[in-house]
Amino acid sequence: MTLDMFTDKVYSVVLVILAIMVLVCLFRAVIGPRVPDRIVSVNMMGTMVMVIIAILAVKNNEGYLADICVLYAMISFLAVVVLCKVYLGVYLEKKKTDDKKKEETEDGDH
Amino acid sequence: MAIIKAIFTILGLILLFIGILIFVFELAGFVKYRYILNRMHAAGMGDTLGIFICLFGLVLICGFSFVSAKLLLVIAFLWFASPTASHLISRLEAVTDEEINKYVDVQTEGNLSEYLRKEDKDLTEILNEEEEEEDE
Repeated sequence: MTLDMFTDKVYSVVLVILAIMVLVCLFRAVIGPRVPDRIVSVNMMGTMVMVIIAILAVKNNEGYLADICVLYAMISFLAVVVLCKVYLGVYLEKKKTDDKKKEETEDGDH
Repeated sequence: MAIIKAIFTILGLILLFIGILIFVFELAGFVKYRYILNRMHAAGMGDTLGIFICLFGLVLICGFSFVSAKLLLVIAFLWFASPTASHLISRLEAVTDEEINKYVDVQTEGNLSEYLRKEDKDLTEILNEEEEEEDE
């Protein structure tokens, strides 16, 4: 068995293991009882997909697929930042309106 | 020359396998723990180390070419981005969690959002205030 055949088999095994791990992360993203659980699992799925893309780029000897890896890293980071900021803003606004409604009802009672 | 390339290939495959093992440990920690901050601890550390070792193994297999340069760029970017993402998620957790006193010793009563609403401040103002007090 030459070295090339051996490396191909190793790549296949590693890709299958990574694919199973991505599915387990997805399972936790659906169940996770709160919002930050889901954000963390999406980040982890993105990192594992980046390793899959890099392995495929080396296996098929196509160097241009490594560019997709760089872009995917930036976009997954951006997604985490945007989700955190938006959810924080929405939560604080909702609590402020709830506070104002409480004050109004208390003033009306008095 | 063929022998040196074969040695680098085998070394790269070993490193790739160790990197996948680190990802498996990270996933085990992520599934096992019940609280979000414990899970995030496992996820943040496992992500950065695992991807560094995996991609470094691939760089050794590829040799000296453009593909290796792009993979090293991915490593450099991710080592800046992943700790920042962990910081943001933990800040989100500290502000929005209703039952944080069950798990964490917090100095304000309740989560951080009540403190922010009473004082009518923004998160960035609080962080700047603490830095100024430490300087003085």
